[in-house]
Amino acid sequence: MSTQPQDQTARMLEMLDNLKADKYPLREYKYIGEKIPRRLDGLAKASGQADYTMDVQLPGMLHMRLLMCPYPHAKILRMDTARAEKLPGVRYVLRYDDPEVRKAEIVGKTAVFFGDLDRPLSGVAHMEGELVGAAVAAETEAIAEEALSLIEIDWEQRPFNLDPVAASDPSAPLSFPERYTDGNHLNRGVYDELSHGDIKKGFAEADRVVEFSFKRTANTWVGPERPCGVWKWNGDSPEIWLKHQRVHLPKSRIADWFGGIPMSKIEIHSLYQGASFGGWCQIDWNLGPLWCAACVSKRVGRPVKYTFNRREDFFGGSMDEGTYFVKVGFKNDGTITAADAVLYHVNCIWPVFGPALHLHDNTQIKNLHGQSKSIWVNKGHTVPTRCEMLPPVLTQTMIFGRVASELGMDPTEVAIKNDGCMGHDMEWARQEKVKRGFPERDSLKECIEQGKAGFKWEESWHLPGARKLPNGRMQGVGFNWTHEWDDSAGSGEFAIRIERTDGTATLMAMGADNGVDAESTYCQIAADELGFLLKDVNYNPQVYRGFYRMTPDSSTNMSVNGWAVRHAARILRQKILESATSPSSTTQRGSFQPAFPNTKPDEMDIKNSLIYVKSDPTRQMSVADFVRLAGEAGPFSTNEYLGARVGWSEPLFASGYQVQYRAWTSDNPRPTFCRQAHFMEVEVDTETGEVIVTRVVNVNDVGKVINRMSCEGQQYGGSIMGVSRAKFEEVVHDPVTGVILNGNLLDYKIATIKDLGPIGTILVETGMGYGPYGLTGIGEDVATVVPGLLPLAVHNAIGVWIEDLPITPDKILKALGKI
Amino acid sequence: MNKETTKMTCPYCGETHDSAEGLKGHVFKMHKGRGLPSAEGRIKLTINKAEHTFHVKPDWTLYYLIHDKLGLTGAKQFCDRGACGSCTMIVDGKPVLSCMILAIECDGKTVETVEGIAAAGHPLIEAYVNNHAMQCGYCTPGFVVTSKALLDINQDPTEEEIVEALSGNLCRCSTYPQHPIAVKEAAGKLRAAK
Repeated sequence: MSTQPQDQTARMLEMLDNLKADKYPLREYKYIGEKIPRRLDGLAKASGQADYTMDVQLPGMLHMRLLMCPYPHAKILRMDTARAEKLPGVRYVLRYDDPEVRKAEIVGKTAVFFGDLDRPLSGVAHMEGELVGAAVAAETEAIAEEALSLIEIDWEQRPFNLDPVAASDPSAPLSFPERYTDGNHLNRGVYDELSHGDIKKGFAEADRVVEFSFKRTANTWVGPERPCGVWKWNGDSPEIWLKHQRVHLPKSRIADWFGGIPMSKIEIHSLYQGASFGGWCQIDWNLGPLWCAACVSKRVGRPVKYTFNRREDFFGGSMDEGTYFVKVGFKNDGTITAADAVLYHVNCIWPVFGPALHLHDNTQIKNLHGQSKSIWVNKGHTVPTRCEMLPPVLTQTMIFGRVASELGMDPTEVAIKNDGCMGHDMEWARQEKVKRGFPERDSLKECIEQGKAGFKWEESWHLPGARKLPNGRMQGVGFNWTHEWDDSAGSGEFAIRIERTDGTATLMAMGADNGVDAESTYCQIAADELGFLLKDVNYNPQVYRGFYRMTPDSSTNMSVNGWAVRHAARILRQKILESATSPSSTTQRGSFQPAFPNTKPDEMDIKNSLIYVKSDPTRQMSVADFVRLAGEAGPFSTNEYLGARVGWSEPLFASGYQVQYRAWTSDNPRPTFCRQAHFMEVEVDTETGEVIVTRVVNVNDVGKVINRMSCEGQQYGGSIMGVSRAKFEEVVHDPVTGVILNGNLLDYKIATIKDLGPIGTILVETGMGYGPYGLTGIGEDVATVVPGLLPLAVHNAIGVWIEDLPITPDKILKALGKI
Repeated sequence: MNKETTKMTCPYCGETHDSAEGLKGHVFKMHKGRGLPSAEGRIKLTINKAEHTFHVKPDWTLYYLIHDKLGLTGAKQFCDRGACGSCTMIVDGKPVLSCMILAIECDGKTVETVEGIAAAGHPLIEAYVNNHAMQCGYCTPGFVVTSKALLDINQDPTEEEIVEALSGNLCRCSTYPQHPIAVKEAAGKLRAAK
């Protein structure tokens, strides 16, 4: 018997937690790299047949609405739910002081770093929108809503904080006195500093030192589908529908609820997702409503669906909110000698992505210091929102933009001068590439060259404030860059089985379709690895089959999941060839003849869903025929009625997995070699303050393109979302009452189809990613990098720095001294 | 009808008449073929070419009726106040925000939803699939319906006309650049089929 299956498993183990170039790529690709239509989800989504959790209706289902605190900081002194309970149509009112609610732990063994997210309903709120008081279940959503308004509460309103710098002052009131009693700076000594070298020395060596600060006000995810979920008990087994992009995380929390529920009894339906962009899915607190639904469902014996309304989706935001203080030292030739950045970070529950992280990852700056102070104020949590790299990317962008403008240098030259890895120069990076088996390519140079050509940079760039257009507006351009990160630090597993009767391949892994078409991408990899036609490979993550893949895919998880599906496919392919040639199908009554007798597995191949002998391709059998007889005949497959044994094949199934550890900490064992570069042009109307973004060009070195249209889609989507965040988006809080003033889509503006000119999409493939075939991720990158382009382009247009995002017309006019 | 009220009001257009005969004459002349007015709350709708009769509450929006009661869940509620276009349906030939119309106002009207457009094999569907004019898909039905309404009146739109027509549809995943491509492709197929 061939040892090939062991080889493929051994190869999988060899590539676990990969630190080097892919040693075993395919020699040729058929589907990988091609433009494929939205073959799995496109028809359902375009025709309105795609179901989302918000659409779920079950027989007997109750609707739940939750009481959310209307104040930024308040305690319930007295609550009377009698009128709500009596309203016709109300079936249950669950109170925060219910004994079961008091004892409940939503998060259980695994807690987020900061904040109090563990109780489903609280009696004290530290933010507007915190779940407090009560959850009401009624026959209709309207009745539940009306019941909430009938709950009478005496509140003790407390002083509150909204600004992180002010809240860090020792004289500021405590934002969360129950837990943090000695001030509002929560993460002292925890993920708060990153440094290398000696910044004092670095500043001393500089020809110039510049200090500045900038601010990013609150902005949020605006997921089209609001948070919602449905809980149904089937006996003691929960059946759940949940809008969540990381479905396996809720499942593992739920396993600790109600005294413990075996994972094998929990079924979660992961329907199509109306996008989350991180957001709620990072907050275990979003499981509080689900717990309430579960508790009430148990008590009344009916399924319960909870929903948030649009305003309630605004309680929480992106983790770039805060005030950044920066000091940078540099030589007259553009070499940066030292950089120091301190971020007063609003409510960051995961302060691992400090302001200096990208400067550490992808420059040769020898002396670096970054500090992230997570300051608790009375707003919602800030979490990764497409994505968590916003603070370090914004910091790097502003630093490089400043240095270039101070020196009057082309910013692309400043970038190349400082490109490197972890404080080392490009020669060190080259040696690392050689050591790890990567091609010796200079990704940043290639990205910049292609971007400059596509953008016509040479004729567009000028010194700040130097170009007035015939239409009276000031033209400006901006450029920024960073590495093309693949930040998945986790593990994923995939299984593949060959269906009986038609021999099609079913991919299996629990996940969530949040729109990036990753499901098609996994099928492309599996098809090329198995040798199947793409139409014969399918994947529906909504069908609950166990295994889990690293999610969300929009967070650059292709490197982990791509490995996992490739491993599974290679192991399965070998199993198919073994099965087709093996005489091992021996029973107590004799053997079945193999489909290809007197042949060894390594003499066989699979192409276009056909199994064939390499030396004589006329000896072939479709995979469908190979598995068909056992499937079609079913229990009669061993029938010898016709005097001969019909063929038989064993079940064909394999699984694979991958782990990737410590991808985004300062001791990241993977120096990042792939880069991205972005270019933006604006026109600034100096009379109205309006900024028109006329075009953007994105260049992303993804290492290896798998799903070309999906990659381009991320470039389009990221550009528009990036411009939207930088130009329009801010959650406005009333300084007097502390409440959100614009929690709706008329007053919180997101970009429309008219808000951005043409978007150029350039994909570079250097093969220097740690994923299979040399790939790295793209899903988070563009939306995170593009926002920082706007202040650079505006400065180039008008010669004035606007250091307060979003850049709204009033800020332009103020900067120009017009108001 | 009390003593003080001698006016007879047309149930279709609200015009008043002094007598029942006058009203009857008006109804036959102006609203012939409309049938008898429905009992309060009863409405007739032709949805995707199929006739339906509903008993609706006065505060039901057209969206709520079609999405929650009839179960055609293609249209979605992204915003809560007519800002996003995700609930768009074609009513009497015009694209409308179904969350901003009361069902009770729609008696006798025709409604086209994304499901009907797809069932009729409109080339927009294939064009959207081929051109990746969707990501999460939540807003996609609204775009398809609005695009269809555009192509109903203009089978050779320019890119500017497509952008203008779709400017009321929000997409958070920001798939905007793909939509004009898909709409033009569908328009070409419609023209070729003529």
